[in-house]
Amino acid sequence: MRSGSLRTYSIAASTSMRERLAYPGNFAGSMFTYALFVFIFSRVWAGAYAGATEIAGYTMRMAVWYFIIAEIPSFGFGRFFWTLSRDMKSGQVAYLLARPYDFVSYNYAEKLGGSLAEAGVILAEGIAVGLLLVGLPPAAAPGAAGLASALSEAGRLGFLVVSLLLAGTLNYFLQAALAMTAFWPEENEAFFWIFQKLTLVVGTLIPIEFLPRWAARLAVWTPFPYLSYAPARIAVAFSLPEALSLVARQSLWIFAAVFLARAVFSFGSRRLSVNGG
Amino acid sequence: MTMGTIRMARPLGRIRAYARFMGAAFAFNLKATLEYRVNFVLQFFGMLLNNAAFAAFWMVLIERTGAVGGYGFSDVMLVWAFVSTSFGLAHIVFGNVRHLGRIVMEGGLDVYLLQPKDVWVNVLSSRTIVSAWGDFAYGFIVLALTSGTDLQRFALFAALAVPGALIFAATFAAAESLAFFMGNSSAVSSALTEFMLSFSLYPEGIYGPGMRWALYSIVPSGFVAFMPLRVFKSLDWGLVPVLCLVAAVYVGLSYGLFRLGLGRYESGNRMDARV
Repeated sequence: MRSGSLRTYSIAASTSMRERLAYPGNFAGSMFTYALFVFIFSRVWAGAYAGATEIAGYTMRMAVWYFIIAEIPSFGFGRFFWTLSRDMKSGQVAYLLARPYDFVSYNYAEKLGGSLAEAGVILAEGIAVGLLLVGLPPAAAPGAAGLASALSEAGRLGFLVVSLLLAGTLNYFLQAALAMTAFWPEENEAFFWIFQKLTLVVGTLIPIEFLPRWAARLAVWTPFPYLSYAPARIAVAFSLPEALSLVARQSLWIFAAVFLARAVFSFGSRRLSVNGG
Repeated sequence: MTMGTIRMARPLGRIRAYARFMGAAFAFNLKATLEYRVNFVLQFFGMLLNNAAFAAFWMVLIERTGAVGGYGFSDVMLVWAFVSTSFGLAHIVFGNVRHLGRIVMEGGLDVYLLQPKDVWVNVLSSRTIVSAWGDFAYGFIVLALTSGTDLQRFALFAALAVPGALIFAATFAAAESLAFFMGNSSAVSSALTEFMLSFSLYPEGIYGPGMRWALYSIVPSGFVAFMPLRVFKSLDWGLVPVLCLVAAVYVGLSYGLFRLGLGRYESGNRMDARV
């Protein structure tokens, strides 16, 4: 296994980010679809809360802000599989493997760097749309005032940013493991579709507290809630112990996902045969 | 044969000729699709899975909250059934409908202009979308699960899905035809497509009265989802011809826009061949 320096990977990430930011028009499609989804779901939640003020511990304002944050990983970090799969199937992987860096780490830096630009744009848009539709998100520390309130808000923002970055990282390594199954069957989209839909149902469209109790208990033992539920929960129902626990569980799943991606790469790359130059 | 019968026979003959042409295009596209069986099966089940994920969402939500926007779980599922079958049918038969703008923009209509069939029908039906089969089948699966296997209901569902498919195809084609006037119209046509699909899949009651007029005009979600649901629930066959008439109006308007734009079309001087 080759290993490039940290500088190599930072340059790969920042180049990829600058490349994405050089064409801001390319964000228009995602921004439009995201705004449309948020608007429609705000109407769905308005319909759902027509006869209730609180469902499963969430008020309508919390539910709308939850959706706004939970959709950011889908829009910002939801397409790693396709770019990696394309590299696998087009043979680009042979060119990348010959380079003096670690394939998995380099791709992580490059792909995550580019997607951070998009996730940042979507986050800014989400905040603007959320303010327009339902006003400010619920306070991080209801009842607190002055310095205590400001510290809680700063803590929430810090944990939210960390949790979103961890969600992006977890998304990358899980999708990379799925994409690299193309070393075996080339038609591997079905694995991703299943992954994508489970992510959607378990914590993206709806908080896991809404799921039947048995399903919610099962869900916390899978990586899916840590892809979108964790940052969204921190944003709408912040408490320091829960935020620490969510971020710790995201980190544990990242370790598992890195191990999985490396194992798939290690076994899969042995099957690669390169012909011609 | 009198002049009157000749005048009557000619349009009927043309309709039969176009039906034969579209049948041949469909059979050819189907054969091409089945050449890649693994891809077909994957896309088919992928689309079923995609739709099933939203079914799970609605089941969980409605279990918690009761009806949303006046729709219970079976109503939402039937709306999904209508939309997915109509959307699927539109993309199976008129698979080029969402590529029309790019074809116009790149000057790729030349190859169709040289052929004897109507350009609009020819270009739209010269491709099929593999994943659309999954959408098409999903509606019937949902119908069987929610309404049983009553033949009359299946027939009514199929009768309502056909004008729905025509309205989908006509609306998408009209949006794509804007390429004649705007050059790159992909942003506008994608926006209209997103609006049409997204608004159709959620209960009508969640939209305020200020938005309803749009759902029965520029973004005709009302005619592909909400009105078919009402007709289906009341088993009112009398409204099927009304929906067919509405579909004919949308098709006519879309065709008119295309013909208007065709006058502005400039050849791309490309060498293309259809095999």
